[in-house]
Amino acid sequence: MGKVTNENNVKPNPTITFEAETFRRIQPEEYLRKFVQQHVRPDGRSYNHFRKTTVNLSCITTADGSSMVRIGNTTIVCGIKAEVSEPKLNFPKEGYLVPNIDLSPICSPRFKPGPPSEQAQIISENLNKLLKNPKVIDLETLCIEEGKAAWVLFADIVCVNYDGNIFDACVMALISALADVKLPKAVYEDGLVKATEEKIFALSFIRIPYSISFAMFDGKHLLADPNEMEESIIKSAITIAIDEAGQLCNIWKVGTSCTSEQLRFCISKARERYVDITSIIEKAKQAT
Amino acid sequence: MRNKLIQSENLCWLLDEHRPEVTVTPIIIKSSDKEKILLKDVNGRRRDGRNLEDIRPIFLKTGLISQANGSAYIELRQTKIACGVYGPRQTKVASFSGKGNLNCEIKFAPFSCLKRRQSYRDAQEKELSHLVFEALAPSIRLDLLPKSTIDVFISVLENDGTASCLAAAITCASVAVADAGIEMSDQVAACSASYIDGDIYMDSDLLEEQRETGSIVLSYMPSLNEVTHILQSGEVEISQTTQAIEQCTDACSKIYSVMNHSLLESVKDKMQ
Repeated sequence: MGKVTNENNVKPNPTITFEAETFRRIQPEEYLRKFVQQHVRPDGRSYNHFRKTTVNLSCITTADGSSMVRIGNTTIVCGIKAEVSEPKLNFPKEGYLVPNIDLSPICSPRFKPGPPSEQAQIISENLNKLLKNPKVIDLETLCIEEGKAAWVLFADIVCVNYDGNIFDACVMALISALADVKLPKAVYEDGLVKATEEKIFALSFIRIPYSISFAMFDGKHLLADPNEMEESIIKSAITIAIDEAGQLCNIWKVGTSCTSEQLRFCISKARERYVDITSIIEKAKQAT
Repeated sequence: MRNKLIQSENLCWLLDEHRPEVTVTPIIIKSSDKEKILLKDVNGRRRDGRNLEDIRPIFLKTGLISQANGSAYIELRQTKIACGVYGPRQTKVASFSGKGNLNCEIKFAPFSCLKRRQSYRDAQEKELSHLVFEALAPSIRLDLLPKSTIDVFISVLENDGTASCLAAAITCASVAVADAGIEMSDQVAACSASYIDGDIYMDSDLLEEQRETGSIVLSYMPSLNEVTHILQSGEVEISQTTQAIEQCTDACSKIYSVMNHSLLESVKDKMQ
């Protein structure tokens, strides 16, 4: 056996070349920057392109209202269960609306089993803020008997697949599931609440907010509807919640600062997107 | 005192100002009496038109969770289950293990049952998780995966009968493990049956399950002709159990063809 010789006599390449996948793994930020410089994103979308969004209503028969939302690969199921409790002493006429999200380990390798993660609790809290201030549902319509009994709507959200922009998907699922809720007629008699079997009464909305998210890369590029890969690299984001009149309900901005022009741009894009979301949900309502 | 107790159980997040402490389901005034609904008519057909030995139509699809190594979604009319498989990945505990670890977790969504479930894991979920593990473990070549863990997470979105739900979860998990490209000796198909008034109702739904005197869940590897797990409860004659096992193995073979079909489809998708 002789020595191993370089038969092809290839000169060593002075610049190191990588497979694109290797590059993405070791230099994720630089990888994204290379795409953004060409005005395109790694999944082929342009900056302002939202992923394909679908909504399915009344998909869970054990829930009083339910919806499944898919934004790209992100899949969210929201089911609402109605129970009864005593109203709060300072708000004797009001019922409760309790949103809660479960980011279970099934949806992404980043979540571990156990009590809800920090991220899940933050999303639940933000959803709660969005529902309570400004008011979305008139909680007084949930009253059964003043000071005695009121409906408690548990809006439980389960993430089946986590591929970024989870908050927008949660808001869409939550609002469309609330619109799908049908409650029975209930009466309060001697400490007991009796309800009819058939469900007739729907919730009345004060306003219908949806949220629209943008990721801000390098302080100047606004990427609409970021996916998981983009979100893991970009730490700055703007989320805007607006209602049907185009009025702002909430703004969440995290990370580096943004200019007022950028904010205005986001709001105008959000208004355009709002129209698309309403038409998607209208279609879903007709399909059921 | 109370807060301390709750914190120690890691449930402190359940207490917050937005939600009431105690909630109950209202008493439903029934217009139709559930006891009077007949489970089968004079021709032996069930409420949904099935014969006693028929199973519900199955919708099974792989690759629905893009973040997981393998995944599957199964639907048996109302029953809806998603399963994601992560791994084989490095075992976190320091001790050496020559065999791979299989970790199965089944979770009911809070809205999946007639009564709302709490979001933390209860005893039933732990029991069912263990049963899924028992049924799956013999089929997976864990001896080829030292120092690794396979995590199987199952999420029940809607539960239409717990026994049939467990069977569907096992079937779904088996397909998801295969979708993750993990070596197996065979696929595990599972099927349930209820004993009601001397009859065997295959793949029973919730209303049938509420009236059963006993039930059986059988997990079976059709190509190897081996049973990986049987769970029977209730008072049943031996002859009836034998018959139920036979019927379940037949049904499992039918489920097996559906599983193979969906795996073939997923391979075709991946080739494109």
